Amino acid sequence: MQSYWFGDVGEGCCTLFTGDTNAIIDRIRSISARMESFIPLEWEQAVQCGACRDRSEYLALLQAVCIAAAERSIREQYSRKDAELLQMVRTLDEIDTVINLLSERAAEWYLVRHPSFSRKYRRTPAHILVKAMHEKSRGALGRIAGVIEQLSETRTTLAKEVSARANDVMPNTSALIGGLVAARLLSHAGGLLLLSRMPGSAIQVLGARTALFAHLKTRSPCPKHGIIFQHRRVHNAPRNVRGKVARVLAGKIAIAARLDYFRGVADSDFLEAAQERIETVGKGNEP
Amino acid sequence: MIWIGNVLVSQGEGGVYHERILGGFRVWDPYRSKLSALYHVGTGVELTPKIRVLYLGAANGTTVSHVADYVDAVYAVEFAPRPMQDLLEVSRRRKNIIPIMADAARPDRYAPLVEEVDLLYQDVAQPEQADIALQNCSFLKTGGMLVLMLKTRSVDVRKEPIEVFHDTLEVLISAGLIVQECVWLTPYHHDHAAIVCMKPAV
Repeated sequence: MQSYWFGDVGEGCCTLFTGDTNAIIDRIRSISARMESFIPLEWEQAVQCGACRDRSEYLALLQAVCIAAAERSIREQYSRKDAELLQMVRTLDEIDTVINLLSERAAEWYLVRHPSFSRKYRRTPAHILVKAMHEKSRGALGRIAGVIEQLSETRTTLAKEVSARANDVMPNTSALIGGLVAARLLSHAGGLLLLSRMPGSAIQVLGARTALFAHLKTRSPCPKHGIIFQHRRVHNAPRNVRGKVARVLAGKIAIAARLDYFRGVADSDFLEAAQERIETVGKGNEP
Repeated sequence: MIWIGNVLVSQGEGGVYHERILGGFRVWDPYRSKLSALYHVGTGVELTPKIRVLYLGAANGTTVSHVADYVDAVYAVEFAPRPMQDLLEVSRRRKNIIPIMADAARPDRYAPLVEEVDLLYQDVAQPEQADIALQNCSFLKTGGMLVLMLKTRSVDVRKEPIEVFHDTLEVLISAGLIVQECVWLTPYHHDHAAIVCMKPAV
């Protein structure tokens, strides 16, 4: 007997499946063919079954079911907690790029208007300069500076929201490396499921793609760290143990991501043990 | 296939992706669609109103919409939710596209939906492209055609495209398929090859 979307067919008889679209979707999700003994369906069987009268009706019915099934799958995937976090953290990183680009350009413009001005020997952070430009400049330059200020404010708020959301979606990973870095890892992996399936060694070099492929293609040294370099434990570690810290941290993140995906709550025992282990390696006390 | 001069076109409702319209026909751009590129650089498989197509890796439904203009029905398989949103919109406007949200490497999950087809078209960016094609050959009629778009860079970036191409050919031939045509899609798409095979009677 073969099970098709409209019913079961076998030994010259056919049992029509009765139910609404939702019931049919549940049915096609639950049945799966054994490919070695599989016989492709013939649409005429659906007519014999009484599912439809002709080919155009057959296609219309099947299309309606398939569209509804796909819509349901999309809804399910987008309603996962990490789907929105992914967009949030990507937006955050793009706002950063935009702010930097615009500030640099505005500064160049400002220099042309003020031939005697130079940033040499001044420790003026970019946002102070932007503020000055906003207050002192006329016309479009002043307005651009104002837009950069607004963007910076939005960025600060968004960063807080990303951290908070990351703490909620991936409590263990966020506890280990902070919400922002955790969210960036998630964004590079493409989702919590994909991150939780990654080995530690892949997580270690996530975000160092150029260096990794340069290493695989040529004889250049392999990267020691990608995004996880942003964590203070890695970039503050002494040079000689930095690679080791990155490796251990990545291993713990791999475990944390799995805890996050399958349990979704913080595991204090694991976190304590992991923190301790990373501390010891970071001090360089370990063989 | 419908050609106006040396421009490949198809007949159907336009405006799917702001494609150019030429004399009431939809222009099928070889730079955007690998299947169109195949018709420009090689022979490919003639699309007729009778044939049914299983299309793996349907993406945003750009090429699918052109194929649907020519044939009886297209079963369009796509896995990712984002392009699926676009594909659904295209399907709602056309009677003969059946969108299936599934993994092309798991044909058992969508087998209860798909008929026997005359053409299996595959355009997926997966390392094991040849295996996916072979698994889906159970849907192919005897004498049916397989068109495989080989993205050599997706199979293995470290290997030379020509090596990947030969490896893939070997897999297909050893599975009993009869290779009829192999062409590179330059200048339209780089490092992409099209392989056209026939499923022989067992």
